[in-house]
Amino acid sequence: MVPVPRDQEIVLAAGLRTAWAKAGGEFEGEDAAHLGGRVAREVLARTGLDPSRIDEVVAGCVGPPHDQANVGRVIALRAGVPQQVPARTVARNCASGIEAVASAAQSVRAGDAEMVLTVGVEVMSAYPLIFGDAFRHLIGKLHRAKTLGQRIRLLTKFRLGFLAPRIALMEGLTDPTCGLNMGQTAERIGREFGLSREAADCYACESHRRAQVARDRGRFKREILPVLPLPGYGKKPARASLGVDDSIRDGQTVEALSKLRPVFEKPDGRVTVGNACGITDGACALIVTTRGRALAEGLSPLATLRSVRWAGCDPSRMGLGPVYATAKVLQATGLELEDLGAIELNEAFASQVLAVGKAFASRKFAQEHLGLDEALGELDPIRLNPNGGAIALGHPVGATGSRLLLTAAHELAEQDLEHSLVTLCIGGGQGGAVLLERCDG
Amino acid sequence: MIDDTLIPFPPDAPEAGSCVRLEELGEGLAKIVLEPPHRSLAVLDGPLLRDFSMAVDALERRSDLKGVILTGRSPTSFAAGADIDAIANLTDQGQIRKLVTTVHAVFARFAALPLRKVAAVGGPVPGGAFELTLCCDLIVLTNAKETRIGLPETQLGIVPGFGGCHRLPARVGLPTALQAILTGRLFPAKQALKLGLVDRLAQVEDLERIASELALGQQRIRRPRRGFRGTSWSSRLQRVLDAVGPFRSFVASKARKSVLQKTRGHYPAPLSAIDLAKTSRGRSATEAADREADATAVLVAGRVAKNLVSIFLGSEAAKKLGRQEGAEDVGRIGVIGAGVMGAGIASLGAGRGVDVRLSDLDQSVLDQAELRHRKETLKRAKKRRTETSEVDRAIDRFETGVGLGGFAGCDLVVEAVAERLEVKRAVFSELAEACREGAILATNTSSLSVDAIASKLPDPGRIVGLHFFNPVAKMPLVEVVRGSRTRPEVVATVCRLAVRLGKTPVPVADVPGFLVNRVLGPYLDEAARLFDEGADIQRVDRLMLEFGMPMGPFALLDEVGLDVAAHAGRSMFEGYGERMQTSLVLGRLLAPERMGRKTGLGFFKHGGSKPVPASDLNGLRELPSRSHDDDEIVDRLVLALCAEAVRALDESVVETADQLDLAVILGTGFAPFRGGPLRYLERRGLSSVVSRLKFLAESSATPGRFLPPKAMVGLAESGGRFERV
Repeated sequence: MVPVPRDQEIVLAAGLRTAWAKAGGEFEGEDAAHLGGRVAREVLARTGLDPSRIDEVVAGCVGPPHDQANVGRVIALRAGVPQQVPARTVARNCASGIEAVASAAQSVRAGDAEMVLTVGVEVMSAYPLIFGDAFRHLIGKLHRAKTLGQRIRLLTKFRLGFLAPRIALMEGLTDPTCGLNMGQTAERIGREFGLSREAADCYACESHRRAQVARDRGRFKREILPVLPLPGYGKKPARASLGVDDSIRDGQTVEALSKLRPVFEKPDGRVTVGNACGITDGACALIVTTRGRALAEGLSPLATLRSVRWAGCDPSRMGLGPVYATAKVLQATGLELEDLGAIELNEAFASQVLAVGKAFASRKFAQEHLGLDEALGELDPIRLNPNGGAIALGHPVGATGSRLLLTAAHELAEQDLEHSLVTLCIGGGQGGAVLLERCDG
Repeated sequence: MIDDTLIPFPPDAPEAGSCVRLEELGEGLAKIVLEPPHRSLAVLDGPLLRDFSMAVDALERRSDLKGVILTGRSPTSFAAGADIDAIANLTDQGQIRKLVTTVHAVFARFAALPLRKVAAVGGPVPGGAFELTLCCDLIVLTNAKETRIGLPETQLGIVPGFGGCHRLPARVGLPTALQAILTGRLFPAKQALKLGLVDRLAQVEDLERIASELALGQQRIRRPRRGFRGTSWSSRLQRVLDAVGPFRSFVASKARKSVLQKTRGHYPAPLSAIDLAKTSRGRSATEAADREADATAVLVAGRVAKNLVSIFLGSEAAKKLGRQEGAEDVGRIGVIGAGVMGAGIASLGAGRGVDVRLSDLDQSVLDQAELRHRKETLKRAKKRRTETSEVDRAIDRFETGVGLGGFAGCDLVVEAVAERLEVKRAVFSELAEACREGAILATNTSSLSVDAIASKLPDPGRIVGLHFFNPVAKMPLVEVVRGSRTRPEVVATVCRLAVRLGKTPVPVADVPGFLVNRVLGPYLDEAARLFDEGADIQRVDRLMLEFGMPMGPFALLDEVGLDVAAHAGRSMFEGYGERMQTSLVLGRLLAPERMGRKTGLGFFKHGGSKPVPASDLNGLRELPSRSHDDDEIVDRLVLALCAEAVRALDESVVETADQLDLAVILGTGFAPFRGGPLRYLERRGLSSVVSRLKFLAESSATPGRFLPPKAMVGLAESGGRFERV
């Protein structure tokens, strides 16, 4: 690795997120551009940065609204960024928020930009219902029909069944290459690593407990911008802004969790709605720039972006992605697993997180899949997701990566750490990992 | 040839032929362009009409032409209508009549040209400008954001006298014509087409081409289905009905009734316009012109039109304050305090394209403010059919935040926290830290001194008062308070912002109550004293409504809030002494559950369909009851206000009498047709007012407020008037 002058190191200069809200709940009436724009605008306001001196805006979003294909551009304009500043939207499934930061970092490193505003955003409440191909085909023909006779003839082909919607959310969470739903991939690795339902429920319970403690001691206060939600369809406007993640279950118990029925593999599966991440809405903005520029703007950067690595793996075992990606990061930086003071590992499913833990500790896995002689090491449960994770908070897919970075960056100061790691599994069989380092003024 | 014996000419009138260009476009097409060198936006003044008449002369001599286009300098600049300055100065009815008939004659000759005449206009097309286009066979209007077309004359106390009262009813039917004339609304392009005011819309770039093709008959207007000229059955029925006398009388009488309800008979112009429009059908053009000329002559020479025109000109002059030297554009403003005023100011700014950050100590107060902002924005959008993207922008621009984070980027901050000096000082010293150097710090105080607030700050030159009135969205006035050390460019910038927010700024001196609350003080207190003496509150309110006030003093006290009024009264007494001594009535009424409309009880009980006088009022009176005649009630209230206005002028609280009249009308709603307190005094005769004041002072408990101010006595003796310019 070529050493980079300290001034040129890439940093997360500032960041802010909305609260994570259960889909169909507080943010049901939200729009990705409004939610993303809101949080981006606030980051600009609080940092006092001149929006015209932003070089680019990059948004990560898995399912942009159909009327905002490049939602990053809409977010930029709605955030008050002047129109001459370009914007794009990037996607890498659940890692889209990290992808936004990673590609911003590349731009900065390449000298194409110096200050980039990134946003991870997802309003899963707004995912559409889709008409089937048969109906779409019919409507298309109707539009092209010239005579009344043609139209009537076409209309006779209409069947009531055409109105049955396809659910974009469900189809989006299914891998087209292996045909498995994300939950099914989690079941698969759960089975293969011999994980029990009880272990998964215990893990989920702990996630809620940690999130509850973190919330109650105000750990998320500095991350969250309270947002007054736009009113949902047929709902009265909310009277108050949402300032806390609303899917944390206070006093969650293993007993209560054990009563839930498995969703994907009945009756013996281990994935239930209680030990999987929730469908969620949220947005998170991060400023990516060089250390020198951040200091020149009078900011105190949250963390240095030390290393970003991506890895591919078997799509039907996508949950193991973090192992592959983390191995690359450790190799690139020469660090060991125990050097990492805190690890934000996205909790797609409890059994997936536990499987990752097993794989980290497995010598066999290291030899077969990572080309290493020895296992990567044991994951310290204390250091793993110290403030809870997606099982308690939720997982607005495009925004999660950004939140993990923001939380891990704050954790450096919180626990006075040298390094923290962000890693997550990515649908389609990938893993991503980012190593953050303390950034002293 | 038209000369200045027929129509007044401005002093900078250019030479004959320079204001209107007649251009040959070939193929039998000509173009008339209004482009007077002495005006940036053409006005139908003497020189322009002279040159237009010459252009018509030239066209009359031509037999080779098929069509002519009437247009302005650009697709979004045509003409501003009649010459308002001339209207302000014309007093001789005969001369006015001559002017109007001259214009009618020119218009009629233009209308009679045996050519296809197409108006190709856009931007503002108000009043006379629209009436000129009505002489054309077809009107093509620019489909641009800035296009506004209509007949606003009645707002100035006159009627559309250049043919509007007969050509418009003929074009769109009586009901629609009356709607346009009586509301005086300037319609956006789409609505103008829908109402049939114009025949076709065109994009800026296509305007001239389309007008040419229409004039040459290469393109036809497709008739609409709906509307007065439509092809549908209901359209046909409208046309048939419009020719029926009793139907026209019915429409006119309904309009008359609703006008009388609103104006209480104080405004003659709308009634006159209804009459003209109703009887326009079936008359010859010359007859219709004669009648319009008669009506216009009476109205223009009359007092109401003069007063309303002076308000209009005053507002226009006030808006120019935003273009003074040193005035800068403000891109981002901060507002401290999310109460009614702060939230109102923030909402106004965000709706008018300014980035706003609203701050308070409490998130829930901010949430309420934001909720209200969104609701108002959506309501307004629905009414005006604003595009969704614009609604989004208004919602996005409204930022909130607890504390002063995010204020570093603000060019100007308005403080609207509690009216306590130590609180305001604390806020300002925090602001001085949080804001960038040179950012303007404004206070929305209504009762504290700007100098006192600024006294201990490092850079007092950037402190200024920016006094909005409640409700912020509706009240058109903003008092810009100059502290003794406020820099002139700060005042200029704040004026510019006020204009951008759609308000009329009036610079005032830093005296207790500034101008508007200062003159309202004795007025409202006199009402309280009348109450104490046994006067019926409904009678007092009714008398003031008849005088022309928008609401009676007791309704106003309830609206303002008894607590606010009492607080203001106290600070005024501290500032001015005996003549502002307040009666004990408000203190007697005031209770936590009795603070006016906001608590549901004040002088009136609110909450029902109509406020009714509170049942316990009699027990709250302490003075021996006595009877008052109407004149005494009106004079005690109005003259107390007017005398204070004269004192304020004398102390140079505002610079000119015009500004004072304008500010009091816009700030208090003082009967606009009376032209403001000073014009009202002049109209009554200063010497008779002086003796009336002396009489009132004798029996008053607070004689000081009725002592005739020295300036007034002086003018009464010399027979002079208040200085206007």
